[in-house]
Amino acid sequence: MMGTVEAELEQFTRGDIQAFEALFREYQREVYGWIIRIVHDSGAAEDLTIETFWRIYRARTRFDPRRSFGPWARRIATNLALEHLSRRRTERSLDDGLPMRALATRAPDPAIWADVCAKVLAAFDELPAKLRVTATLAMIEERPYAEIADALGISTNGVKSRVFRAVRLLRKSLEKRGVCP
Amino acid sequence: MNERDEALKLLLQRAAPGPADRELRRDLWPEMRRRLDRPPVHIPLVDLALAATLILCLLLFPETIPSVLYLL
Repeated sequence: MMGTVEAELEQFTRGDIQAFEALFREYQREVYGWIIRIVHDSGAAEDLTIETFWRIYRARTRFDPRRSFGPWARRIATNLALEHLSRRRTERSLDDGLPMRALATRAPDPAIWADVCAKVLAAFDELPAKLRVTATLAMIEERPYAEIADALGISTNGVKSRVFRAVRLLRKSLEKRGVCP
Repeated sequence: MNERDEALKLLLQRAAPGPADRELRRDLWPEMRRRLDRPPVHIPLVDLALAATLILCLLLFPETIPSVLYLL
C-alpha cells in the first residue's frame, strides 16, 4: 500500500501544484539552510532556493516517488550553488567583511589578524568552485563526508580527494602570500 | 587530517565563518508561485525562420559578415 508521503510525491510527479506546494513548504527551509552554508549570502540563497525548486518542478517526471525527496533536492541545490560560485568570482562586499572585522577586534593585534583573514579569504576564493564547495562543507561547516558525497553526486573518496587538493592549493596560495598556517 | 591541516581548518573557520543567521525568515512560496505562473518565453516561428535564413546567408556568403557587422 502506498504511504502518504509516496502518494504526495506521486501526485507531484504528475504535476499537481498542491502536492508541489506541500513539498515546497516542507523542504524550503532545509534547502535554504543547505545553500546558505555554501554561498554565505542570504539574498543569493533565497534566489537559489527558488531556482532549485523551479528545476525540481521542471524535472518532476524524472523523479521516482519511491526515492527520498530531500537528497534529490539537496543535490540540485548543490549544483546550483556551485554554478553560482563559479559565476561570482569574488569582490567581497562590505557585509562579508563583518566577521573578519569582528575577529580582528578580538585578536591580540587586530590589524595583523585582519590582514591574515583577508589573505585566507583571497586564497580561498581562488580555488576552483568544485574544490571551494567541497572545502566549505568539509572544513568550515564540518559536514560528514558521506553527506557531502551525496550532495555532490560523487563518492566519499572523491570528497576526500577534493579536500586534499583544496588543502594543497590553499597552502601553496597562502605561502605565496606569506601566511604559513 | 594532520595537525597542519587542522590549523588551516581553524584559520578558515575563523576567516570565513559564514552568516550567523541561517534561518529562512520568510515564506518563499508566493515568489515560487509567481515564477510558476510566469508564461513561458515564446519565440514566434517567423522570428526563428528569419534568424535561420540570416545564419544560412552568412554561412553561404561569409564575405558579407563585415558589412552586416557594420550595419548592426
